Amino acid sequence: MIRKYIALLRMKYIEMLAYRLATFVWMTGAVAQPLITMFVWMNIHPEESESFVFYFMAVIFVERMTSAWDVWELDREIREGTFSNLLLRPLHPIHWAIAENIIYKWLFAVILVPVWVVAAVFWPALLPHMTGSQVVLFLLAVVLGAALRFLLSYSCGLLAFWVTKVAAVYGVIDVISLFLSGRIAPLEMLPPQLREWSEWLPFRYMISFPIEIATGAADRGEVARGFAIAAGWMIVLIAALQWLWKVGMRKNQAVGG
Amino acid sequence: MRRYGRVFREFFRACLVEEMEYRSEFFGNFIASFFGIAVALLTVHIFFYQTDRLGGWTYGEVLVLLGVFNALRGFIDFALRPNMPRLLEHVRRGTLDYVLTKPVDSMFYISFRHLVFWRLIDVALGLGVIGYGLYVERYVPSAADVCMFLIVMAASLLLIYSLWMMLMTTSFWVVRIDDLSFIFDSFFDTARFPGSMYRGAVRFVITYVLPAVLITNTPALALLGKWSVPAALAALAVAMFFLWLARRFWRFALRFYTGAGG
Repeated sequence: MIRKYIALLRMKYIEMLAYRLATFVWMTGAVAQPLITMFVWMNIHPEESESFVFYFMAVIFVERMTSAWDVWELDREIREGTFSNLLLRPLHPIHWAIAENIIYKWLFAVILVPVWVVAAVFWPALLPHMTGSQVVLFLLAVVLGAALRFLLSYSCGLLAFWVTKVAAVYGVIDVISLFLSGRIAPLEMLPPQLREWSEWLPFRYMISFPIEIATGAADRGEVARGFAIAAGWMIVLIAALQWLWKVGMRKNQAVGG
Repeated sequence: MRRYGRVFREFFRACLVEEMEYRSEFFGNFIASFFGIAVALLTVHIFFYQTDRLGGWTYGEVLVLLGVFNALRGFIDFALRPNMPRLLEHVRRGTLDYVLTKPVDSMFYISFRHLVFWRLIDVALGLGVIGYGLYVERYVPSAADVCMFLIVMAASLLLIYSLWMMLMTTSFWVVRIDDLSFIFDSFFDTARFPGSMYRGAVRFVITYVLPAVLITNTPALALLGKWSVPAALAALAVAMFFLWLARRFWRFALRFYTGAGG
């Protein structure tokens, strides 16, 4: 299995190099929205400018580390029928997607981490103040967030067996996540009702939660509870994915046969 | 000029007929547009949950600005964006020759041949938000305000058109143009909010280099009665300059094209 994965990773790496410009463009594009939002908040609370700088830089970083685009890939592959090719291969198609995610996020990390380090030299506000255990928890939360986002994206993508416009469905989910994951505002800035929802829905754990650990905004009890809720969602999403896969395959064969 | 009006009407009619073949899409698009504006309003609402001023602008004023932004973006999606991939295709296949032999100006043809009709909903929704913003602000624009608004809005349209035309023209050299339009979108998104909100280098760039701020802020201010004749004239002058630049660039690219084709 490990040997297979190494081969997969290498293939995906070569594929990515072929689209270097596109990769670059998507990276810069992802920066614009958080930066604009950052300016808005710096304007509203000028006295907290420094913490907003750190927060939104962290949003850009975590967002890149956890982002998943599988729903668009699946939408296209299932609609155009190329998904069947993947089914014929000896490995479950989800492993191709996982390999792709790992490679891209590795690339983003390789680029973003040095950028962050250099920026922190000129902009002391970007220096993180984290203890060793905070770093470990932060990384753990990022991985968990990436897994949650991937599972959600892939499960939605599988809906393409039934619905023709999956990307539109995901668009709605993405907007909800825009507010509840902390991309439009640090969650403590939201009205109390929304803040309460964000606690129980999975979106907070995709972006805001790791950052809250990094800034120390979440205390020990909150962190423990956060991990528990995120793990709960993880189980739910894995179950949903498996079920969708099973039913989807049956549906796919009904059409194909 | 009359002829161009007639040609444009003909483009409009042809695209409308095309659009009507996919009527079921229309409803979905309608919902998507409504959803988009609702999200934008909600975002502004979240910001104003914490404050009552954004870069010196009140809630109602920001709404007017948002309306202008939405209308202008609707215009881009209506006329400019759909033509971009076609130009790319023309250049790649060499079919641009057909366009060049047509008895209308090639730049005009290239930029307006394909219209995505339903995107005008966004323009209408934008106007609606402008109206709502004025209502919130309890401000009734005078005839002079509206007149000034129309003038600077025309300047903004010219500016956007010129910027897009320059972007489109790069398709003579660039292969994947959708990436470029993505960058433009990111930039244009800054125009959603008051320019006075930004600081430092970002403010400088979006005010003077890529005048995103000029494009949306001036019309919004004009409608709110905060206009001045010199500012309007400056906007017009900048727009004319960019149009001239876009025209020059298009001519230059065409020379490059014939060079490559021959």
